[in-house]
Amino acid sequence: MKEENKKQKLKNREPFLKRKTAISYKTEEKTVLRGYNLSDLAEEGYSFCDAMFVLLQGRIPTEPEEKMLKYEMGEFMEHSMSPSAASSIAVTAGRPNLPAAVAAAVMTFGSAHGPGAAHGYMMNKYLERARKEGKSIDEMAKILVDEYLDNNVPVMGMGQPQHRDGDPRAEPTHLKQEELKIDGLYLEFQRAIEKHFHARRKEEGRSYVPVNCVGAGNTALCDIGFSPNAAWCIGSMVRGYSCAAHAVYTLKKGRAWAASRNEPMVQMLDLSMINYIGPKDRPVPPQEERQQYAMKQKESGDYKKWVI
Amino acid sequence: MGNLNEKKIGNLSDPKLPYDYMNRECGTVPLDANRPPFQWVSEVAYKNIHRIVSRGYDTTELVEQGYGVVDLLFIDFQARIPTLEEEKMLNYILILSLEDGLSMPAVMSRLVAKSKTFLTQACGSSILAFGHAYGAYSAFGDMVAEYLRRARKEGLSQSEMAQILVQEQPPGDILGISDLMLEDPAAKRLLARAEKLGVAGEHIAFLGEIAKAAQDQDESPVDVDMLGATGATMMDLGFTPEAIWTIIAVTRSFGAGAHFIEEIEREDFCRLGETLTPKEYYDGPEDRPVPPLADRHKTAQPAQTHNLESWRESFEKRKKLYGSGFSIVEEIEDPTKTKI
Repeated sequence: MKEENKKQKLKNREPFLKRKTAISYKTEEKTVLRGYNLSDLAEEGYSFCDAMFVLLQGRIPTEPEEKMLKYEMGEFMEHSMSPSAASSIAVTAGRPNLPAAVAAAVMTFGSAHGPGAAHGYMMNKYLERARKEGKSIDEMAKILVDEYLDNNVPVMGMGQPQHRDGDPRAEPTHLKQEELKIDGLYLEFQRAIEKHFHARRKEEGRSYVPVNCVGAGNTALCDIGFSPNAAWCIGSMVRGYSCAAHAVYTLKKGRAWAASRNEPMVQMLDLSMINYIGPKDRPVPPQEERQQYAMKQKESGDYKKWVI
Repeated sequence: MGNLNEKKIGNLSDPKLPYDYMNRECGTVPLDANRPPFQWVSEVAYKNIHRIVSRGYDTTELVEQGYGVVDLLFIDFQARIPTLEEEKMLNYILILSLEDGLSMPAVMSRLVAKSKTFLTQACGSSILAFGHAYGAYSAFGDMVAEYLRRARKEGLSQSEMAQILVQEQPPGDILGISDLMLEDPAAKRLLARAEKLGVAGEHIAFLGEIAKAAQDQDESPVDVDMLGATGATMMDLGFTPEAIWTIIAVTRSFGAGAHFIEEIEREDFCRLGETLTPKEYYDGPEDRPVPPLADRHKTAQPAQTHNLESWRESFEKRKKLYGSGFSIVEEIEDPTKTKI
């Protein structure tokens, strides 16, 4: 039965999912991405970054645009111990297949860790408002900063918990964009946001919080034509490469389970690493007392402080 | 309500237990003062407030000097700057790995997209498509490396060892050789580019020998496919099988991101319970009445068996129910052959 299925499958190379798609098609002869034969793109000498433009924008980029993406992907790929790398290392401790560790790593990119799409959507929303309300870029940047800070909402693209003096990648990215002369509306807007953000914090006597890699990198990606989600895809997936390296390193040179007492250093999951601050140890009520116990517990309401 | 140390709880006083459960210590384990505390130990990268450093290279300085993501892959995985030819070759491979139509990673990304998730969840799920059948770069690399090791140890030529490999691998199932690319020249162009750039080495050469041996043996035409061409070339570039597996899976996740976006742009989200499965798709047990709960003791059959024959009989019976998992037999490592 299984052999028959296999033979049938070989004859039938139809896709699992029937979909109209504008991204690519694949025949027995070639794979075509947005109209370009993928093999021809590579043969012609285009770069991987060029191909990213074809994939996500359907076009060949200009040379400076390609250079900018190369810079951006290069700088964003490795970030040592961030939620993504830590996740890939922790998942590898259980020794699943490697892709599980890499998938977990890229899935850490959410609303706090590398929120590239959200930053892009924020910029687009306020740029559209500027257009509709007849405001200048600078005026709208001030409105954005005030609206966020008045409501105690962090301005996306500002601040990084580890690089307290400023993410080493951020300002150089702005400068690279200017050097390559691909500084567009987004960089102008981002710079204006930073100006008003710093001014307001200074006015309030608060510390200096510099632009982060999302604020700088995503701005560049927006200026070279990537949508918020496409930019997020680029930023998050390129990190997957370095997380894969951390996973492979842990697989080959780290201890499975990360709790061995034979290692010279206390391990990540050593029991002594647990600092428990929950409810104190308490007896388990027997079933015959359960209903009375549960009702009393519910009535007291003490449990509510532990509800998460 | 009693206290922790007085009452009997279930089987927890059973003398067969390895220690006294009713008098177990409470509280967490104190910090170990004899060993250094936990730190993230890494040979790959570190960062401080002002720097991010990969294998000794400041990443901001790298990109300012014109290095890019392709170079960074060599740095992260191999701790070295690649030659220009190596960089060009990997760049070529990444382009070819970026997109593959509505293949499994794209389908997985689209399916996840339909439930209205973050893009990263969809892309992450596409990476999970790379198992030991689809995109099995690790399995391919391990196979090639193992047979090359044997060739060296046994003093055999690559051609002789390729013949052995083809005989020992399941017929028609040799990783890297198939009928998938008979009409598409992309895999062969990739190998030709490796030769042209001067980066082709023993892995590409061995792949060629495997292809020849398979062609001699197979009745139907076969040739090097994309898995083989990519895997062998990346091994010649110095990447380990594990590195290749993950790098290619991540590369495809960019394509999966585009599929996520398009799925949202062109299709609807899917609600819980929305998808129907027509009965003609179903070939499980016939519709049957649910027995009254009170009659369970009359109808329910225990799963336990008490001798090997009935165990086997029961096992075979269960194999007939697809989805139970009994027809799947996974090979586990032979402990007698485990390398220490």
